[in-house]
Parts: sequence; structure tokens; C-alpha cells
Amino acid sequence: MATRKLPQKVPKNKSCKEITDLVLDYLNDNLTRGIKREFMKHLRLCPDCVSFLNTYKKTIAAAGTIKPEQVPANVRENALAFLRKRIYRAVKVFLLAIAQLSLLTALYL
Amino acid sequence: MPEYMSTSSDNCVLARSGAGTELAVAGYVAQPSYRRPRKQTTTREDAVLVDRLKAGDERALEAIFNLYATRLYNVAHKILGDVADTEEVIQDVFWTAFRKAKSFQGNAQLSTWLYRLTVNAALGRLRRSKKNKEVQYEEYLPKFQDDGHHLVRPVVDWSDTLDEKYSQQEVQRFLAGALDALKPLDKSAVILSDLEGMSDKEISATLGLTVSAVKTRLHRARLFLRGKLAVHLGHSAA
Repeated sequence: MATRKLPQKVPKNKSCKEITDLVLDYLNDNLTRGIKREFMKHLRLCPDCVSFLNTYKKTIAAAGTIKPEQVPANVRENALAFLRKRIYRAVKVFLLAIAQLSLLTALYL
Repeated sequence: MPEYMSTSSDNCVLARSGAGTELAVAGYVAQPSYRRPRKQTTTREDAVLVDRLKAGDERALEAIFNLYATRLYNVAHKILGDVADTEEVIQDVFWTAFRKAKSFQGNAQLSTWLYRLTVNAALGRLRRSKKNKEVQYEEYLPKFQDDGHHLVRPVVDWSDTLDEKYSQQEVQRFLAGALDALKPLDKSAVILSDLEGMSDKEISATLGLTVSAVKTRLHRARLFLRGKLAVHLGHSAA
């Protein structure tokens, strides 16, 4: 039986703990209009949560600045050599199998 | 005369009126694009390469390697922290991609599939090596009073002082160390989100978790990193 979706409740006067739990959805713009209004209302009155939000955002921004490393040249060369060798071996096994099959077919005929 | 706090363009601006306690908040705009933008190859380009790979074209594998090796190397290296282990993971991933190309479903993205192979291989290696350590997050998470208020007040806004006190390299080094202290799956979620710029949905497909589980892990990991940074700056993590 299909269940009816209940309307999302908008609890009044959110606590700092609740605001902290909503930060991720706030940044992803995933809060419903009512919850977002409560969220903003709390921020207007609570400098602690403003500080929390700023430092949370700063943490994400700082993590995003970690520079991607270049693949060391020897790692790149080793990996490509490994792959070529594996493919060569696989092709060799395949061709050997074909040759054996052809030989067997020729013998039976 | 109002005293302006936290004036960084990215941050919220608070105006505190002199003797009063009323606070005005401006600039609270949700930022869906707060994640690092992700370099993406076109799906069409990927589709052509996958078709060639399925036909056993060795050059297609090299082309895919050249397109994705750096990104996959970074993810694996951040998870494993060891160049030799990372090298083996990268080799395994591309070899698996070549062998199992036929099982690749066209409705998935090539990048998601490759990331998934990489993260699984790296996490598997980490599990087998038993380098996996038990981490206690509690010390670095925010704490609250019974009524839900912050336990330590005022909460210090160090978002501007971080850059003043430390160079970007120092912050990056510190954060890389803090990332290493995270549980492997949490670390993977942060790497894929904040370093690779993936959406929660893409991370969920890559890690084989529900979107809600991804969000929980991501949030907890960021709280931990935030706490680590706060303590590093001489403030309370709470």
C-alpha cells in the first residue's frame, strides 16, 4: 500500500545543535523553504552559529586547495609497461589457443 | 558605530550594533557550487573510448590512462599515503578496466566506474595491510549543552585568521595530515567531495553507499577536520 508523504514539520526555535546538523544541507541548498527560514532566523540571532558556519566553510575551502599531485614519471612508465606486458601476454595466450584449436580441427578432418 | 566582523567575501558578514546585542546577518546565500569544480571529459569521448576498449583496443586503454591516471593516482595516494602501494593499485585498476570493459554498463559514467575501482582497490589494500587505525573523533567534534547551545562560547570565527597565521602550504600540509587521521571511508568521501568535486550522488555510486550515508560521513569528517584546525589555531574544537 502506498504511504502518503507527510508534510515536513518546521520546528520553531532551532537549537545550535540542530543548526549544526543542517549545515551540510544548507550548503548544498537542500533545505526546504520553511527549514531554511528557521535556519536563517537562528543565524540572525546567534553569532556562535555564524562563527561555526564560517569555520565549517573555511575548512571545506582549505581542503579544496590541497593541490593534486602529478603522477611520478617512473610510476607512469611502470604502469604503462605493466599494462602492455599484460596485454601482450593475454594476446599470446589467445593466439596460442586459436592455433591449438586450428591444429586439432585439422587433425580430426 | 557598528563594528564589522568577518568581512571575507566568502563569509557571512555580521554587523554588531555598538552597545546592543542585536546582530544583523547578510550574505547568507546557499552555495551549491562550494565544491572544487571537477575536470570532466565529455561523456561522448568516454563512450567512444569504452567501445574501443570493449573491442580490445590497447591504444584506447592508453588514452583512458592518460585521461584519468592523474586523478585516480591522487585519490589512491591520498587514501593509501604510499607511492609503491598506489602504483600497484593504479596498475590493477587499469588492467581490471581492460579485462572487464565488456561488463561496463553504458548507463554509468566511465569516470565513476574508474573511481569506484580505484577506491575499492585502495580500501581493500588498506584493510589487508592492517594500517587501518582506530580513530577517536569525539575530541574534535563540536559539543553542546543539554539545551542544545554550544558548550564553549563564544565560538571563535578563525576563518580569516587561518590565512593570516599560516601559509597555504602549511595549511595544506596540516590538512593532509588531518585527512590521514580519518577513517578510510570518511577520508574517501572527503577526497571525492572536497578535492575531486564530486556530488553526493556520484560519491554514493563510487563508494556503494546511500546518499544519506555519504552525507553523514562527509559531515562528520568535516566536523573533525574543522576541530583539528581550530585546535591547531589554539581554539576549542567545541
